Amino acid sequence: MEEFVTACPRNCYSTCTFRVQVENNRIIRILPYSGNLATPEGPCIKGLSYIERTHSPDRIIHPLIRTSSGKFRESSSNEALEIISDKLGSIIEEWGSPSILWYRGSGMAGLTNDIGSAFWKALGGTTLTYGNLCWPAGLEAVRLTLGSVKHNVPWDLENARTIIIWGKNPAETNIQEIAFITRAKEKGSTIIVIDPLRTTTADKADILFCPRTGTDGALALAIAKTLIDNNLIDREFIGKYVKGFEELKQSLKITLAEAESITGIPEENIIGLAEIIGKKGPVTILPGYGLQRHHNGGQTIRSVLLLSVLTGNIGKPGSGFNYANLQSYIFDELKEPLSYYPDPEKDMPFRRTISMTKLGSDMLNTHDPVLKAAWIERGNPVLQSPDTNSVKKAFSALEFKVVVEQFMTDTASLANIILPAKDIFEQSDILGSYWSPYIQFKPKVIQSPGEVMPESEIYYNLSQRMNMNISTDLIPEPGKIRVFNLTGELISKARISNRVPTGIVMFPNGIWFNEGGGVNRLISAEETDIGFGAAFHDNRVEIERAD
Amino acid sequence: MRKGFIFDHNKCVNCKACSASCILENGWKVLPRNIYSYNSEAEYILPVINLSLACNHCETAYCMNGCPASAYSKDYVTGAIILDENKCIGCKYCQWNCPYDAPKYDIEKRIITKCNLCYTGLADGRQPACSSACPTGALRFDQLSEPDLCSWYLWFPDKNLKPAIEFTAADNNSPLRIIPNDRFREIANKPDIQRKNIYNEISLLIFSFLATISVSILIFSFVKGVYPLKNIFIPVLLLPGFVSLFHLGKKLRSWRSVTNLRNSPLSREIASYLGYTVVAFTMLLIPTPGLLIASLIAGLIFLVFIDNVYYYSDKRQSVILHSGQTFITALLIGSFLSGMVLPFVFIAVIKLGISAFRLYSSNLKNRYFEIRFMRIALLSVSGISLISHISYPELPVILIFLIGELLDRIIFYIDFNPMNISHMINEQLNIERDEKKRG
Repeated sequence: MEEFVTACPRNCYSTCTFRVQVENNRIIRILPYSGNLATPEGPCIKGLSYIERTHSPDRIIHPLIRTSSGKFRESSSNEALEIISDKLGSIIEEWGSPSILWYRGSGMAGLTNDIGSAFWKALGGTTLTYGNLCWPAGLEAVRLTLGSVKHNVPWDLENARTIIIWGKNPAETNIQEIAFITRAKEKGSTIIVIDPLRTTTADKADILFCPRTGTDGALALAIAKTLIDNNLIDREFIGKYVKGFEELKQSLKITLAEAESITGIPEENIIGLAEIIGKKGPVTILPGYGLQRHHNGGQTIRSVLLLSVLTGNIGKPGSGFNYANLQSYIFDELKEPLSYYPDPEKDMPFRRTISMTKLGSDMLNTHDPVLKAAWIERGNPVLQSPDTNSVKKAFSALEFKVVVEQFMTDTASLANIILPAKDIFEQSDILGSYWSPYIQFKPKVIQSPGEVMPESEIYYNLSQRMNMNISTDLIPEPGKIRVFNLTGELISKARISNRVPTGIVMFPNGIWFNEGGGVNRLISAEETDIGFGAAFHDNRVEIERAD
Repeated sequence: MRKGFIFDHNKCVNCKACSASCILENGWKVLPRNIYSYNSEAEYILPVINLSLACNHCETAYCMNGCPASAYSKDYVTGAIILDENKCIGCKYCQWNCPYDAPKYDIEKRIITKCNLCYTGLADGRQPACSSACPTGALRFDQLSEPDLCSWYLWFPDKNLKPAIEFTAADNNSPLRIIPNDRFREIANKPDIQRKNIYNEISLLIFSFLATISVSILIFSFVKGVYPLKNIFIPVLLLPGFVSLFHLGKKLRSWRSVTNLRNSPLSREIASYLGYTVVAFTMLLIPTPGLLIASLIAGLIFLVFIDNVYYYSDKRQSVILHSGQTFITALLIGSFLSGMVLPFVFIAVIKLGISAFRLYSSNLKNRYFEIRFMRIALLSVSGISLISHISYPELPVILIFLIGELLDRIIFYIDFNPMNISHMINEQLNIERDEKKRG
C-alpha cells in the first residue's frame, strides 16, 4: 500500500488537501491531511465518494462512437481519433475553424487543462465562450470596489466578533468553514445569516434575516445609510483609504420605511443589524454567489461590500469581505475576472466569442460561418446552462460533437464521439483555490483504466494526426407539480418545507434528464448587470398540480 | 481510561460524511451510522439538533447479553462490541434490545450489520472511519471524560447502559431567531410515533399464540382428567417450532439459538420449548398422570420464558402490565375450556380491567381503538355465555372466545414498543412543542 497527499480539483471553495491510500492501482482509502490549515479535518462526502466514482462500473473508459442506428459502440482510441481528425479537417476546410465551438466547463481545475487552448490556437482558432455561469458579477463588483479580489485566510474567521453569512450556505458548499464559524461562536462571536431560505447553515446562527429574494441590495443600502446617520462608521479608515465617501452619502436616499417595504425586514431590525455591524467589530462578511445571480447582482455585491468599507472592516484580523480569494490564481493566462469578458481584439487567434449564459440562442444565431461542430470538455452545458430547450436544440443542430466525459451525462448522450476523461487521481497537476491561499500539487497516483487519456494526451495525439506542431504547455405532499413559465416547464416531485418560505420555489441543481430534468429548462438565458454572469435566481414561475 | 465518541452538535450540519466513510471502509450495504435530527422538519419554534450515531459499544451491552446465538463478543483491548457475521442467525432480537438502533438488518445477507468501531484499524493506530472523515470536527474518537462532565440530551435514551459517547455541546431548546418572524408558516409534524408493523412479527404471533393454546389444552386435560387428543395436540405443539424458523434470517444456523442460556432470555425460551416438547411427547407415548402434570409444569415454565423475552427488551415497560401475555392467557383459556367459572371470572376480570385501562388511557387514545374494543366485546360476550350456561361451552362460543384472545395477542405486539432513539426524539419533540405553544 502506498500513501500520497493530493488535493481536490473540483470547482469548490475548499480545494481540500487529503491523503489517499492506493493498493494494486485502486484507491482504497481517503483520509484527512492536517497540514492544510483550511481543511485540516479532510474532504466532504463528495470527496470521500471518489473511491466509488473512480472505480465506478458506470464510468466510460473506452471511446464511444455513435453508429448510424443512433446507439453508441465502443471503439479504440485510434479509430476515434482518426474519425475526429478527418471530420474536423473537412469541416475546417469547408467552413473554417471558427465553425467549431470549444466549450470548457470548470469540472476539473488545474494548469494542464489549459493545454487545449494551444491546440485550438494552432488549428486557427475556434469559437469560444465568454462569461461564466457562476460568479463573475460579484468578482467584478469586488474588483471595481477594492481593486483586487482577495481576503484573509479562512482560519482568520475565528478572530471575528461578528460573522455575517450573506446568501451563502457553507454547511453545504464550503463545509470546512463551519469549523471556523463554530470556533468563533464559541469565543462569543455573533453569527448572522441573511438568506431567503432557512438553510442548514442558518440552523447554526444566532439570527436569520429573511429578506425577499433579490432585495439584498436595498437591505444593504438601508444599513449603510443607518451606519452613516447614526455615526457608526470608521471615519479614520474612510479618511485614509476611501474615495468618494461624500458622493456616496449624497446618493444614499433610501429610507428605512422604503427598505422595509422592499425587503420585508422591519425597520427596527434593520437598525439593530446596523448597530451590530457598527459596534461589534471586527466584522467578517461571507457573501455567497447566490446573491449575485440576479439582474442586479453586481450592484448588490457592491452595496453589501459598502458595509465592510464604511466600518473599516477590511484588511484587519477578523475582518473582511470574503467573496473570493484569487491570491493563488497566479498561473492564469488572463487575470480573473477579466478573462470572462468578450474578446476585445477581433484578430486574436480566437476569432469569435459567444455568451456562456446565452449559449443556446447564441449558438443558433451565429453566422458566417455557422457553427458546425463542438468540442466539450469538463462540463455538461446541456444541463448546466440556462434555457435547456434552446441549448439542446443548438447542440442537436450541429453536424459533429465530441464530448470528453467520465460518465454518460446529458451532454455526452448527444455526442457523435465520446472520449473517456481522466479522473482526479490520473494526472499530475497544479491547483489554486478561491478560498485558501494555497497552491497545491496534485500527483498522479493511479494509472487510468481502459483507454482513458488526459486532455493533454488527447490533444497531443490529435495534433500528430492532423500534422500540427504545437508545444505542450400549496400543494399536498408528496405530490407532483408542473412548474412553468415562458421559457419552459418541468414536472417534479414537490415537498413543502419549513426551510423554504411562502412564495419561493427552491430547486436543487444537478438533476439529469433521466431523473426528470433540471431547473435550467425554466431559466431564461440572461446576464447579470456586470461581469457577464448568469442571472439564475431572477426567475418567476407558476406552479400547478400535475397528479 | 475508556475511549469513545465525542460529539459536538454545534459543528454537525448533517452532511453524512461519517455515514459514507463507514460503508466505504467496511463495504456494507446497510448504514450502521445514521444522523438523527431533533426537529428534522425545521419547525421554527424549536432548534434543529443533529446527532451522528452508530453503536456506542455500551459497557452493559444488551445486544450481546440478549443474543441467543452468542454472535456478539467484546474486544477487551478497544472495548468494541463486535458481531460475528458467521454466527448471527438473523433473529433481530438485538434490534429490540438496543435503544440506539445500532444493529441494522441486511435484507440481502439476512443477518445483522453493526458498527465494529473499525477495531482492526484502531489496532493499527487509525481512527474509526466515521470520526476520521468528519470534515467539521463534530465527531471525534478520544478519551471520554468522567460521566458527570457529560451533558446529555433529554431525548437520548438509556444512559444506564454506559454508552461510550459524550456530548460537548449543551442540550439547547432555544430556537433560531428569524426576522421577520412570519416568514415561515408553521407546518405541524406528521403523527410521529412510528409503530412496528405487526406483519413483521407474524411468525412470533403464531408461535406464541399456538404455544398458549397447547398449554391451555394441558390445563383442560388436567382439570378433566383426560389425556389430550393427539391429532389436535401434536400439531399445536409442533407448529410453533416450525413457524418460528420463518422468523430467522439464517434458518440453517437455528441450532445456535440455544448457545447463550446464561444470559439470553431468547435462548432460554427456545430451550424451554424444546424441553416442553420432549416431556409432552413422552406423555403422549406413555400416558401417566405424573407425566401429564410434568408436561403442564414444563408448559407453564415455557410461557413464563416467552413473556420474559419481551420484558427483557421492554426497558420502558410498554407491556409490563398487559393482558396479552401468554401465561395469564393460557390460564384464562384453560379455565374457559374446562368450564371452571370462578377461576375464569377472576382472570377475565383482571384481563378486562387491564384492556379497558389501555383503551382509555390517554397516550394510547385512538391507537387501534376498534381492535381493542372488539377484543373487550368478544371476551365479554363469550364470558357471559359461559357463565349463563354454567356448562361446557359450545363450539361457536369457543371460537368467538379464541378470536378475542388472538386479538389480545395482536394488541400485545402493537403495544410492545422497546426504547428507540427515533421514538425518544419524537416524544420529546411533542412535549417541547406543546410547552412552547402554551408558554
